[in-house]
Amino acid sequence: MEKRLIKKDVLAGIVGKIAGDVNLVAPVKEEDNVLFELVKDGVTALSSYRNTKNAPKAFFFPRSETLMRYTRKEKGYEFTGLGEDVSGQTVIFGVRPCDARSFVILDLLFDQDKYKDPYYIEKRANTTVVAVGCTKPPYSTCFCTSVDGSPMSTEGADVFLTDLGESYLAEFLTDKGEKLLKYFGDAKADAGAEKKKEEIAQAAAKEIKKTIPAHEIKAWLDANFEHPFWETVHKKCLACGTCTFMCPTCHCFDIQDEVKAADGKRIRNWDSCMFPLFTRETSGHNPRTSQKERWRQRFMHKFRYYVDMFGPIACVGCGRCVMSCPVNIDIRKIAEDISKL
Amino acid sequence: MQNPYVPIPVVVDKIITEVDTKDIKTFRLAFQNKQDEENFKYIPGQFAELSVFGKGESPIGIASSPTQKGYIEFTVQRAGLVTSFLHEMEEGTHMGVRGPLGNSWPIEFLEGKNIVVVGGGFAFTTLRSLINYMIHGDNRKRFGNITVIYGARNPGLLIYKDELKEWEKRDDLNINVTVDKGDDTWKGREGFVPAVCREVAPSSDNAVAVICGPPIMIRFTLPVFFDLKFSKENIITSLEMRMKCGIGKCGRCNVGHKYVCKDGPVFSLAELDKLTKEY
Ligand SMILES: Cc1cc2nc3c(=O)[nH]c(=O)nc-3n(C[C@H](O)[C@H](O)[C@H](O)COP(=O)(O)OP(=O)(O)OC[C@H]3O[C@@H](n4cnc5c(N)ncnc54)[C@H](O)[C@@H]3O)c2cc1C
Ligand code: SF4
Ligand code: SF4
Ligand code: FES
Repeated sequence: MEKRLIKKDVLAGIVGKIAGDVNLVAPVKEEDNVLFELVKDGVTALSSYRNTKNAPKAFFFPRSETLMRYTRKEKGYEFTGLGEDVSGQTVIFGVRPCDARSFVILDLLFDQDKYKDPYYIEKRANTTVVAVGCTKPPYSTCFCTSVDGSPMSTEGADVFLTDLGESYLAEFLTDKGEKLLKYFGDAKADAGAEKKKEEIAQAAAKEIKKTIPAHEIKAWLDANFEHPFWETVHKKCLACGTCTFMCPTCHCFDIQDEVKAADGKRIRNWDSCMFPLFTRETSGHNPRTSQKERWRQRFMHKFRYYVDMFGPIACVGCGRCVMSCPVNIDIRKIAEDISKL
Repeated sequence: MQNPYVPIPVVVDKIITEVDTKDIKTFRLAFQNKQDEENFKYIPGQFAELSVFGKGESPIGIASSPTQKGYIEFTVQRAGLVTSFLHEMEEGTHMGVRGPLGNSWPIEFLEGKNIVVVGGGFAFTTLRSLINYMIHGDNRKRFGNITVIYGARNPGLLIYKDELKEWEKRDDLNINVTVDKGDDTWKGREGFVPAVCREVAPSSDNAVAVICGPPIMIRFTLPVFFDLKFSKENIITSLEMRMKCGIGKCGRCNVGHKYVCKDGPVFSLAELDKLTKEY
């Protein structure tokens, strides 16, 4: 594995050069928020930020995406081609380790043996992930260490940057990552830099004060689909879906058709298990009749079903849902409460 | 990479109105490209997404049997947007199909056994596929006795009427068609499906029951089969959940950790016992 040391003040230049050659997605300031966005002329990528409001999954699995186009012919509409939003070579810069892990978790769903999702897979293959370790975990709501992550986890990263104070340690972890080597100069990292990184990593992990019994509750979840506890979780929930839209691992979508004059497109849009209509059949039958069933589904999907289907928990501990729920429902507290039952 | 979201182009070859109320029709679809027809290898019990550009898609069980060559058939009840469009369509219309999707009736498991097929209402579609598959000359000897119990509310609501008559003429098939309530011309059996099952009383000896119908029928039919000593492993059914992608991605149709579109729709009662009760 190649490693480089780069002085802090050259990073902005490196980012600028990459942006000149390929699409660059990076955290930028937009009004009061920090968001991942395509960096265009006149926009500056932030070098100092906590994490973005939006999860970067949107660059592989956009909120709204054209799957295909068609046009009216004499005997009915006919297919004319796929969507045109397929991105070119892209670098996502500044992804936090929790979000980088979310890509690995989503790969398990979108890139299976039997059915492959070409839209996701193509964008993923064309994208290089440059992650930046959380030397100082940004929020009190972070709990990555409870769900198999850590503030310095390199899982899902092609290049991993660690802030060593004066300089960054850049680790080139994959073939894709090594293609970016040319931008990073030739100052090889020495053993001292690696040792420093180790120390920082250990200190950072200790900074994550919040832990939840994410694995420990699995046995209870397996046994207690029906339990009075589920009556207590959803009471305040507005079914607004914010938690699922913010979440880096939520992947539910709807497919809709849109037609203008003779031309139409089939689009997929993010959807949410928190919405009453999500499972409602045309007959009116709905297997999940109230918000209780929907909250149980959201929680079970993350901590039980995804584990049974693919192995990992479908939560990376980013805390976005905790921070953005308008009525302060806290997924961490639900896990804790369950562990006390 | 094959794109599982892009429908296969088909043309509507024939439309058959199945019932007096005219809200159930069978659509015979022919592939526009020969190669697609060869690639579309299905097993009874699978379904496909009927795809209408401009409207959307609906998951519908495949009603034809793979032993019928040159076309595929679907029997559709008019319900909402897509199914209403299908009902308005004329022969010759171009549309799309995505599939075959889902698992299937467990053919290998059924082989060498006596098969009891129980259907109610228009949920008879993939059962019809199974029956036509089993009684086909190439396959008939791979299965033991075949008993069919099929019911509808009244004679006008029975689907596949011509085929039912053909089946009744055969001596390698025990067919029992019933209606909840007959009319002046009905000479057949009257009575609800569960009651008829109790009367016919198929033996559970080396037998599997394949049951599909409205929830209420299933609810009252299952106890009959338990009384007849069918084990839960030997009672097979098919689930319905709202679907979109049909390929286990959109997160809509899960029952516990199984996606009905991909891991189902066919499950044995023993398998269902292990899943959450949310369907
Ligand atoms: C495995 C399977 C097999 C089926 N087989 C048949 C069949 O052989 N014949 C038949 O008439 N019907 C069948 N259905 C039910 C049929 O899919 C729905 O009636 C149909 O999707 C309604 O669509 P719509 O566009 O007309 O209604 P709308 O209300 O406009 O539906 C909107 C969309 O929601 C989804 N949806 C709504 N209800 C259902 C539902 N009950 N099941 C699945 N998706 C739904 C579909 O994507 C649909 O396009 C089957 C369902 C499943 C899951
Ligand atoms: S469930 Fe909440 S904390 Fe976990 S990954 Fe999703 S948004 Fe982040
Ligand atoms: S963000 Fe909060 S209120 Fe909104 S759906 Fe999620 S849990 Fe419910
Ligand atoms: S229909 Fe999309 S997951 Fe089953």
